[in-house]
Order: sequence, then C-alpha cells, then structure tokens
Amino acid sequence: MLALIYFIILAVIAVGCSLCIFFTKHPLYASIAMVTTMLSLAGIYGLLGSPFVGAVQIMVYAGAVMTLLMFIILVLNGSRDNTTKRFDKVSIFVLLSVIAVACLTSIVLCHSTFAFDPATVRGGVDVTAHTLFNVSAGGNGYYLIVLAIGLVLLSAMATAVILARKRIASDPEKVLPEEVH
Amino acid sequence: MMEFIESKTWIEWLLVIAKLALAFIPVLFILLLIPMERRGAGFIQDRQGPNRSYIKIPVFGKIRAFGWIQNCCDGLKLFFKEIYEPKSVHKVIFSLAPAIPFGLTLLTPCVLPYFASLNFTFGDTVVHIPAANVDTDIGILLMFGLSSLSVFGTVLSGWASKSKFPLLGALRATATSISYEVCLGLSMMGMVLLAGTFNVEGIVNWQETHTWGIFVQPVAFFCFLLAAIAETGRPPFDVSEGDPELVAGYHTEYGAMQFGMFYMGEYGHVGINSILMATLFLGGYSIPFMTTADVQANFGTVLAVLFGICAFLALAFLHMVFRWLREFNKGKASNKDEINKEYLLYKIIAWLAVPVFIALAVVSGLFVHPESTIVNGIPVYGIGTALGTAAVQFLVLMIKTVFFCWIWIWVRWTLPRFRYDQIMHLGWKILLNIALLNLVVTAVIAKLVMGGN
Repeated sequence: MLALIYFIILAVIAVGCSLCIFFTKHPLYASIAMVTTMLSLAGIYGLLGSPFVGAVQIMVYAGAVMTLLMFIILVLNGSRDNTTKRFDKVSIFVLLSVIAVACLTSIVLCHSTFAFDPATVRGGVDVTAHTLFNVSAGGNGYYLIVLAIGLVLLSAMATAVILARKRIASDPEKVLPEEVH
Repeated sequence: MMEFIESKTWIEWLLVIAKLALAFIPVLFILLLIPMERRGAGFIQDRQGPNRSYIKIPVFGKIRAFGWIQNCCDGLKLFFKEIYEPKSVHKVIFSLAPAIPFGLTLLTPCVLPYFASLNFTFGDTVVHIPAANVDTDIGILLMFGLSSLSVFGTVLSGWASKSKFPLLGALRATATSISYEVCLGLSMMGMVLLAGTFNVEGIVNWQETHTWGIFVQPVAFFCFLLAAIAETGRPPFDVSEGDPELVAGYHTEYGAMQFGMFYMGEYGHVGINSILMATLFLGGYSIPFMTTADVQANFGTVLAVLFGICAFLALAFLHMVFRWLREFNKGKASNKDEINKEYLLYKIIAWLAVPVFIALAVVSGLFVHPESTIVNGIPVYGIGTALGTAAVQFLVLMIKTVFFCWIWIWVRWTLPRFRYDQIMHLGWKILLNIALLNLVVTAVIAKLVMGGN
C-alpha cells in the first residue's frame, strides 16, 4: 500500500517532468526537468527491488551525464537558440506515432501479469554481480559482453582525446605556449 | 496502515524516528569547524584569531568562550541581514540554488553508521535496529550518487546570477568536482573490494575483525584524502572562488543567509567527507583492538577508561590555562583583571569536572556489570548497555572525524592555491592513474590471498 502511494507520486513526477522537457523554452530548464525525471526513475527502480540500478542511475545519469550536459549548455550559451518553432507540419506524425506507441504499451501492460510486488529483489548488488560476472562454465557468459563494452568505451575515449588535439599526435604543451602562465 | 504501524514495537519506532536526528550531525559540525578554522588559522599564522566578542555575566565578567561567542555573533548577523538580489538575476533559480547543496548535506549521510547496529532484549523480544537511517546493501553508492548532485547548486547559482564571474566560477567548480569524483569513487573501491560489500556498516565490521583500512590501503587513503579535499572545493583547490581572479566565484551575487547556506553546505560537506574517511580508513566507530561484542561484555571497564581519559583531558586543560595565565600575568596587558576573572570560570568548571569524571570512572568500573541473555549463541544485553555502547562508539567516531577536520584546516592554511591547469593535471593524469593501479593491484592480491569468492 505504502509502496503503491510512493510509486504513484514518483510516476507523476517522472511523467510531468518528462513532459516539461518538451515544453520548456530554455535548454537549462529542460535539463533541470530531466534531472528530476532521472531522480524519480531511480526512486521507482528502488521501489521495484532494484536499488543498485537506482543508485547507478543517480550516479551516472543524474550526477555525471546531466552535469556535463549543463556544463555544455553554459559554455556554448545554448539559450540563444530559441528561434526554432516548436510545432510544424512534421509534428503531426510525431504526435501520431507517440499515440500509437502509448496504445501499444497500454495493451501490452493490460495483457501482461504485471503485479507490483516491492518485496522481491530484482536488481540488488548480489543479483547483478551474479548475473553479470558468472565466470563458471555453465554461466550465461555475460562477463564477455561486459568486457567488450569496456573495451569499446575505452577506445571511444582514446579517439575523443586524439580528436580533441589540434594536430594528430601533437604535444599540446608545445603547440600552445601562450597558455602557460 | 495499522499493520505497518504494528509491525514494530513502540521502542523500535521511537529509536528509528530518533535516529533521523543523526542527519543533522554534519550540519552541526559547522559549530565546531568555524571556530576551529578561525582559531586554527590564527594558530598557524601566529596570531590570536577572532575572540573579542563576549557575553557579560554577573560574577565573572566578560565570557568569550575561546571564540565561540564571536561565531554566534557572525551567525546571528547572517540570519538578520536583508536578503537581496541583483536586478537582472533569474529569480526562481537564483533563490533555489543555495538550497541544493545545503539540502543534500542533510540527505547524503543517510547511509553512514555512527554506531554499530543496536541489538538488545526488551521485555521478551529481541530488538534489532540498524545503525544507518537507510540500511541497504548499496550503501556507499547511494551516498556518492547523492553527493554528486550538489554540483547542480553551483551550476545553477552561477547561471542564474547572470554575471560573468559567477558563471566562470561555476564552470570551474563543475569541472573540478566531476574529475575528482572519479578519483574519489575509484580509491574507495579498494576497501569495498576487500570488505566485499557496499554497505558501510559491513566495511566497518570488516575493519573491526581484520585491521584498519589505512594499513591495507595506504595509497588509496592518500588518493581519497586529496580527492576529497578537491571535491569540496576548499583551498588549495578553490579555483572556483579564487578571490584575486573571480571575486568570490559562484556566490558573488549572494548575500545574507543565501550565502550562509552555501557556506553551511561547504562545511557540512567537509564534515561528511571527514566522517567518511574516518569510517572507510580509520575503522569508523570501532574502538581499536575491540569488537562491539567485547565492548559490551566489558562495558564497565570501557566506561571507566573513557571517564579516566576525560579526567586526564580536564587536567591537561587546567595545566594549559594555568601556564598561559602565568605568562599573561607577567606581561603588561591592561585588561589583566578582566581576563583573570574570565579564566576563573573556566578553572572552576575544570576543577569540578576532574573529581566528577574520576568518581564516574570508579563507579562505572566497580558497579557496571551488564547481564546478558544468550540468543542464537550470541550474548544480547539490555537496552541501557546497547545505548551506552552506541554513545561510546559515537564518541570514538567523532574523535577520528575531528582529527580529519583538523587536517582539512591544516592543509588550507599551509598550501597556496593551485593553478587551474595544475588541478586538472593532478586529477586526471596522476591521481586517477594511481587509484586505478591501486585498484588492480588490490584486486589481484585479494584474489591470491583470500581466494575466489
């Protein structure tokens, strides 16, 4: 009962804030609304017995990604770009597709045996660890995929570092001597 | 709803609700940290520090309480100043921003245990109350997640001020705190790996039965210390509010209690990080060489030793007062009478405290013998022993924490401010690599020594 009340409060906040992301004019407001959405989603994860996923949601998305996004909005002064019209002819198709997706989701939800049971642990630390890093022969082998994702992210980071330099493989301290005070 | 209420006895509900007061401890650290900072700065720079404000009482004259009265005056001044805002600021976000770091100071320590879980017999039932307000197996992750949100206060205040210096300060603060949070998380992971749990109480239990974290993870400890100082944005890492360049950084346009909230948020953050360091690397609430069960079994002895230490400290205080007064009375100060009258009060209090503490030590050593009942092979004591143990452990944690607070102040008044590129260089190219290497080495050694688990 209590869990259901919490769920309804969090769900209303999540949906309301994600609507705000679309309908605010300033990108900074949109990002604040997005942070609130992330936080309430984390709360819902916690209610559904996956506190680990919730904490990671707060740490990675609300904490790091959204901070970087705000950083970029501040640096690039994104507030200047509010001349784009919010609705034009294309919006009709977007609206139609959104309604279609909503109908599909509600049909699926009505037909599934969705029971709200906060007592079951679905994504705690132990469960996640055993699912992802089960290295025994009979395991599901997800740890290989985790390693592969790690490698991909590492190479992406290396690429970004190289691209950020002015000339490839140049020494940044020699190129810009005037920045050294 | 009635089922929910009746799921616990009234004593459980009382303690669980009373435990919520623990959320205010990092904020209350401000009372300790500000006088410590000011008088500490005076001590390091060989001056007295602000201690001139006083309260006048009948017999003893002007009582200054070693600078605490000055603090109260400053706090009162901040409270009663008019809250103003410049004309061009964005009103809603401008007034909302200071609340974020301050509010998170109350929210973040919800997973920190200030004492071991309470287990005691109450009537016929055995009551178990977890130490942390939020007792969950993700513990420390939740804490890092919440504390990483406090940077939004900085960003929003910088943007809403609609002024160049706050914006630049906010950008610098964001970049610093993002880069050092990575180091903070990575250097903490070594301890998590050894203890095998994210739960903070589990980590402390591991240290209680094995050894303190600083001995098994010395490198991680220093990485954590550096990253924690940098993350709070205090000197020498305070480029976000470096006064020669940016006036006052992101809170340039704030005044009165709005500025005060940023200030309290910063000091609260210092308090939280000190508690966290004491918990992760200095054994938290555990008394050296004793587990919680040992403390409870020998509770009388522990109390006797504790009161003995208190009596010794009171004597040391008296010694300091007498020495200082002797030197002072040899000098040519014009206010000798006033000062002597003020110190008379301190002397009376300390002289009263010494016999009281000694008597308490003797009484508790002789007469406190808690009785236990064996439940599931573990001795469980009454509510008095449980709460007493909690109080002793809380005191131990606070002593460790105050030590780290002093390190914070010591570093601040010793080192000059770093340049911005130096901070980024230190964070990304040195600390991060050391922390990463330390984690890998720890993982390999833990696997070899403790075996796979």
